Amino acid sequence: MDLLAFLAVPFVAGLILTGIHAYLGLHVVERGVIFVDLSLAQIAALGTTIAYLAGHDLHDQVTYFWSLGFTIAGAAIFAVTRSHRETRIPQEAIIGIVYAVSAAAAILAMSKAPEGTEHLKDMLVGNILTVSWRTVIATAILYAIVGAFHWIFRKKFLAISLGEEIPHLRWWDFLFYTSFGFVVTSSVAIAGVLLVFSYLIVPSVAAMLFARRVGTRLAFGWVMGALVSGLGVLLSFRFDLPTGATIVCTFGAALALLATVRPLMLRRAQ
Amino acid sequence: MKKTLLALALTLFAGSAFAAHGKLNVITSTADLASITREIGGDRVEVTSVARGYQDPHFVEPKPSFLLLLRSADLLEVVGLDLEIGWLPPLIDQSRNAKIRPGAPGYLDLSRGVEILDRPAGAVNRSMGDVHPLGNPHYWLDPANAVRIAIQIQRKLAELRPSDAAFFATRLNDFKSRMNAADKRWRAALAPFRGAKIVTYHNSWPNFMRRYGLNVIGFVEPKPGVPPSPSHLFDLINKMKREKVKVIVMEPYFDHKTPRSVAQRTGAQLLVLYPSVGGAKSGTDDYFSLFDTNIATLVKALKN
Repeated sequence: MDLLAFLAVPFVAGLILTGIHAYLGLHVVERGVIFVDLSLAQIAALGTTIAYLAGHDLHDQVTYFWSLGFTIAGAAIFAVTRSHRETRIPQEAIIGIVYAVSAAAAILAMSKAPEGTEHLKDMLVGNILTVSWRTVIATAILYAIVGAFHWIFRKKFLAISLGEEIPHLRWWDFLFYTSFGFVVTSSVAIAGVLLVFSYLIVPSVAAMLFARRVGTRLAFGWVMGALVSGLGVLLSFRFDLPTGATIVCTFGAALALLATVRPLMLRRAQ
Repeated sequence: MKKTLLALALTLFAGSAFAAHGKLNVITSTADLASITREIGGDRVEVTSVARGYQDPHFVEPKPSFLLLLRSADLLEVVGLDLEIGWLPPLIDQSRNAKIRPGAPGYLDLSRGVEILDRPAGAVNRSMGDVHPLGNPHYWLDPANAVRIAIQIQRKLAELRPSDAAFFATRLNDFKSRMNAADKRWRAALAPFRGAKIVTYHNSWPNFMRRYGLNVIGFVEPKPGVPPSPSHLFDLINKMKREKVKVIVMEPYFDHKTPRSVAQRTGAQLLVLYPSVGGAKSGTDDYFSLFDTNIATLVKALKN
């Protein structure tokens, strides 16, 4: 049926987002760099804006490489500034500064661009309702590659996120943020910043309420992400609400519910 | 959940059953096109606008119902000139309705047959700076263009529903004569203020102002979507004082803070005019009342 086809694309897109973000979210929450995705997405957007200003089309390959280049530069900044022991500057401060400065720089760049830039922001930020199957499949392939990369080096990445010292730490950190930047840039382009942030943070926070082991938390996050995606898409169609925002609020409601249920469950377990 | 799906399925089924009865199902991007389509199509068409009149047509948040609307459309009418580029193309793609894809018979871009202003002559390149390559998309705010829009709609409806061609042609003639009469009235109302200098927030009124002999000498917003710099505001305020501009015109959906502060510093009056049918809760129910309301507001302000 037609309606199922309409429901299917955002739902499958949600599953794919869950797959990689629930995993990356574990690292992000463990490291305490909660807003790193917003910051990297903003740097990528700045790269796109500057490419546009230089006369390249938004969907040009060159534009993509500009945004990728900026993302990698951002990853380098985060790898270098990691936990500055001497001055005790928290990394979240650097992340916030990078976010604010790149957002402002994008405004400056746009003010120098020719007219017709009013849609630029819209085109950079995707909408999960109108994403196409082709994009979903291409994104799934990209995430699978990044996922495989993380699976192969899982011990290294996990060790850093848990605060252990390993050889070549900054180099591994750089690889972590670069691969993270790859993922976030594509996911913001299909789902928008709010939704990407929720997929990243909420499942892993919810999992922390109930589980200690990384593997269990990941499984919990995946199940929660899948259920919330399905419910969110259904609610959005049932009540005709913007799909991305509905999923974000469903995440919030699910987290609140889990937090309420937790003490009851723990009491019973005693 | 099953009930939800069933209810949705029934709605869809009801929709297609409706189409089978012979009414053409027309979806328009803006409420203005919907209003003019109703004038021409009468009870032989079912018209729905995607964007509401109180929304900025540059930015519309896609909702699931839009996909369902587009899915069952026989005809999609758009303003064109990239006005809807931020939101409509992916909706058309995802609606999976081959009838309304650009280039198909069920897709009507009304910018093709109207007078477009601010269109650069010759080749456009980025070194030219402040230029919208396709021209100003706010062309519907001129009765002459409204008639041109109506003519294109009448042709398209007749093409899609030849059996009702005579009906549409009669209604077009009726629309034209009512529009001419109304336009005369509006011109007479604004005639005393011919040449009056006006500042607008966004460059969305060139067709309207030219039609009624009003002179737009500047914009609060230096470029669409870009906040004004202090030097731009400084220049604008000085120019307004020098040229004794009494009125700043803006749309309801823009932020009032900057234009209000410019108005306070220059002694000008800040007017909210409605760019689209349905922009206000009352008084903008169709194209005619939209103009009645806007022109009454302008006349009152210019009299002071």
